[in-house]
Amino acid sequence: MRGRKGDRSRNGHFRDADELDGRRRARRMIGVLAVLNFAINILMGSGVAAAAAVLIYRGGSTSTVRRAAAVSSGIVLGALTLWGVFTVEKLETTARGVVISILASALIFILANKLFDLPPSRWSLFTTLIGAGFALLVFALLWGNRAIDDPVLRTMVATLVGAVAGYLLGTVQHRWGRLVIGVGAGGLLGALATSGMRSVILVFELEQGAFELWPILPRLNYGVLAGATVGGAVIGLLLWQFRGRRNPPVRALLLGATLGFLVGGWLLPDLGTGTKANALVAGIGAGIGLGALLALKPIPDGSKRGRIEGSSRAYIFLIPALGFIATTLIIPTLRTLFLSFRDTRGQEYVGFLNYGDIFSSPNIFNLDGWTGIFGSKLFIVGALLLLIGVVVSIVVGRRSGYTIRFSPGTGGVSAIGVVLVAFAVFAALRGTIFNNLWWVFTVTVLSSSAGLAIAVLADRARWESLAKSLIFMPMAISFVGAGVIWRFMYLARDVSKPQTGVLNTVWVGIGNLSLSRGIGFFVAIILCLGLAILLGVLAVRAWRTGERTIGVGAAVSALPLIWFAYALWHGVGGFEVRENGDIVASTIQFVQKAPYNNMWLMLVLIWIQTGFTMVIFSAAIKAVPGDLLEAARVDGASESQTFWRVIIPQIYPTIGVVTTTLIVLVMKVFDIVKVMTNGNFGTQVIANEMWQRAFTELNFGLGSALAVVLFIAVLPILFMNIRRIQKAAV
Amino acid sequence: MTMLSSSGGPGLGKRTYSLLRSIPTWVLWLLVVLWTIPSLGLFINSFRTRNAQRASGWWYVLVEDFSENLTLDNYVDILASGSQGGLWRALLNSLAIALPATVIPIAFAAFAAYAFAWIDFKGREWLFIATVSLLAIPAQMSLIPLLQLYSGGGHITLPFLEKTLTLFPDLDLAGRHVSVWLTHTGFALPFAIFLLHNYISGLPKDIFESAVIDGADHFKIFWRLVVPLSVPVLAAFAIFQFLWTYNDYLIAVTMLGGAGQNFPATARIAALSGEFGQAEHLLTAGAFLSTLLPIIVFFALQRFFVTGILAGSVKG
Repeated sequence: MRGRKGDRSRNGHFRDADELDGRRRARRMIGVLAVLNFAINILMGSGVAAAAAVLIYRGGSTSTVRRAAAVSSGIVLGALTLWGVFTVEKLETTARGVVISILASALIFILANKLFDLPPSRWSLFTTLIGAGFALLVFALLWGNRAIDDPVLRTMVATLVGAVAGYLLGTVQHRWGRLVIGVGAGGLLGALATSGMRSVILVFELEQGAFELWPILPRLNYGVLAGATVGGAVIGLLLWQFRGRRNPPVRALLLGATLGFLVGGWLLPDLGTGTKANALVAGIGAGIGLGALLALKPIPDGSKRGRIEGSSRAYIFLIPALGFIATTLIIPTLRTLFLSFRDTRGQEYVGFLNYGDIFSSPNIFNLDGWTGIFGSKLFIVGALLLLIGVVVSIVVGRRSGYTIRFSPGTGGVSAIGVVLVAFAVFAALRGTIFNNLWWVFTVTVLSSSAGLAIAVLADRARWESLAKSLIFMPMAISFVGAGVIWRFMYLARDVSKPQTGVLNTVWVGIGNLSLSRGIGFFVAIILCLGLAILLGVLAVRAWRTGERTIGVGAAVSALPLIWFAYALWHGVGGFEVRENGDIVASTIQFVQKAPYNNMWLMLVLIWIQTGFTMVIFSAAIKAVPGDLLEAARVDGASESQTFWRVIIPQIYPTIGVVTTTLIVLVMKVFDIVKVMTNGNFGTQVIANEMWQRAFTELNFGLGSALAVVLFIAVLPILFMNIRRIQKAAV
Repeated sequence: MTMLSSSGGPGLGKRTYSLLRSIPTWVLWLLVVLWTIPSLGLFINSFRTRNAQRASGWWYVLVEDFSENLTLDNYVDILASGSQGGLWRALLNSLAIALPATVIPIAFAAFAAYAFAWIDFKGREWLFIATVSLLAIPAQMSLIPLLQLYSGGGHITLPFLEKTLTLFPDLDLAGRHVSVWLTHTGFALPFAIFLLHNYISGLPKDIFESAVIDGADHFKIFWRLVVPLSVPVLAAFAIFQFLWTYNDYLIAVTMLGGAGQNFPATARIAALSGEFGQAEHLLTAGAFLSTLLPIIVFFALQRFFVTGILAGSVKG
């Protein structure tokens, strides 16, 4: 990327006398800028001082003490600002940038608004300003492109002509008078522009990074010009006929002729080989045509002027935002699409080669491991849980007259089964794209369910807001910061030293406990089994009283406890047995060991995003109408029934919003992977792959294609958003 | 299912039931502790010496000798040292990026949101939907062309003529903060317009009508009525955007590229973390410092932040 700068400085100057002139002017400009800079800094300081003083002064009663406080704190704050602005270099540039951009935008915005306040009351002033502004703009453009001689003089005269013509057209009502004014001013402006026209304007050529001069004088063929003009006039008349002869035909005729003249004068002829006389004819003719067109329009009446004011206002308010969106979102998106079909530097069309590269690269898209899915423990356990959940749901459902009926217990078990099966699938299928899908699935599911669970748990609990704040806090931490924080959590030190990462300490600790066969070991086993027995008793009782689904849930949650007790007895945790019988501690390489290191990275994002889902769900739950809950209780629904049958359906739209937001966010995951593994150890994701291809290898074609893949992946969400907004807007 | 009464269920027994009732609270606080441990560990470790950090986990702070193992050196070192200037400079850079990138979009979005909400013009609805639907476009879609624009200007090759015209001059913006501001502004606008429009379109219609009767034009209505009334939502968006831009890494590292002296704190920390081995003990302090300001802003203005998030999603 930066290579371009070198090219520019080599060829980026041109041997034109103007250039030297420009340098001299630039030096003078720097002096002016320094003064301006100083003035702005002073302005900022005094502005802060005044603002502080006014704020305090107007806060309440005006006693002498308050007045003194206002003045002194204003002075102190102003001095502080001044000191900061003048001493800390960074602060100065920033503050200056902000102040200048705010002042400039505000000025333009206010001026535009004031200008379009005029039409209803002061029409002639409006037309004067518009005329002057239009002429100024056109000549400034010509000037900027170095297309005319004596640019200063010409621009000034043109502005004056524009202003006078605008004023006259805004006041004179007589038809022929208007025509004379329009034709005269238009011709004059055309002559002004073209009589001094140089044979060249400046063009910057992208590929060589060098300036090129591009000739523009048109070589007129008067026959062609006349033909084009007459042709345009005929087309204008035909259109007028076709559209129902609404206005007098003169306007249509003139419009057609003018456009035809422009085509014949500027588009059709060979540019650059013509003479000044040619240019003069082409310019004056076009000017006369446009001027006459303007003059033929009568002065609008009051209601029309009001409409001009109203509709222009909408665009004044919209253009800054829409312009930004167009330059930073829409045009770049189109260009990325375009680049994705071209080679590394965007020079040659290569068809679908980049996309082919993506899907044929084993690092990005690899289905080879699919046979491994069915053998994995995760898959078997998951499938089993799913089976249990579904079977029990069917049995329970039959009894109450449904084909199948999920409830908290069975639904939860089935959901865990689905998640485990999905993990097994994603752990077996390798490559960037599957990693991304794995991220999207895991983070969306776990983060929204954890957020929902915490929102429910915290609802009306004591210290609710404190608990929620602490869970929410990671939202304020950057992804980079979170990555660093979790690197310390996952730290694995050499086994001969004590572990300093929390998770490996726990893991090695469990290993030691399991090996020790001491008191702690037995206590842990008894605790696990005791809890499991308690859950078992609960399960049996619940089953007997008809709460079959709670029973299944309790029984299933007892299983891991039993498994843990068994594993502890059998030996589990951070140790390994060497061949010679030695037992040494061993750590988990959370970040390095594929494929499950992906899940440890996902945990970081879950840690951050759960606060977000919790806050939204919490608000949605609190917004459920109290009458509904009351009615459910009166009807004898239990807490869990109220939750699943009343609250969940009520917050359904919120669940949709949260999941779509999360999917978009997770699809683009970048920072965490970049900081923690940089895509190594089989943790690559699309966004990081794209960044590496585009910005470290400078392969813009492949990078763009990867961006497009990402874009296509979020397209469904985009359409869902559109429909949602449409619904809300109706 | 209907056999269970709200008072606890006959089959389960009162004691079991009350035990069951208290489980949620225990689970909640267990989760809160689990959620806090990572940040707490980093925070504590940032005050421990390099040797202490390497020898034992942060929880040893409770039992070890304070005077020997606790220090502020990590902070002093990270703030001052570094080839590109200390973290001090990076933190200032972060502010220099985040403040303008917050202020600029607010102004533009407020104008646009007002126009979409209260000015009648042709094609208003579809233009609004088109604008807001850009919310979901991944930033990756724009990065390459934007960087080309900032580092080489914008050009268009005219068909047939084989000439290239310059639409946007090469201002050599890549590597400067301006490029990051502009990019953030563009990316923030759809969301900002959406958020502000939700609020501004919900303001009572009467006040606008009476203002029009009093002879106020749109410009006056905007400044005198809409801006003062929308302060809550403006603040909400400002906090949201500030946290977002302050914490951003992708756009900063892409647009600033090799200009390490202009890197914000996130990019500096990420670079430090790449050389994990040597500066590990400083990384704790660095990571904490870089999150300090967002956390303060977050806790001080949480109410607005939550309002912003909710207005952006639940109402949608």
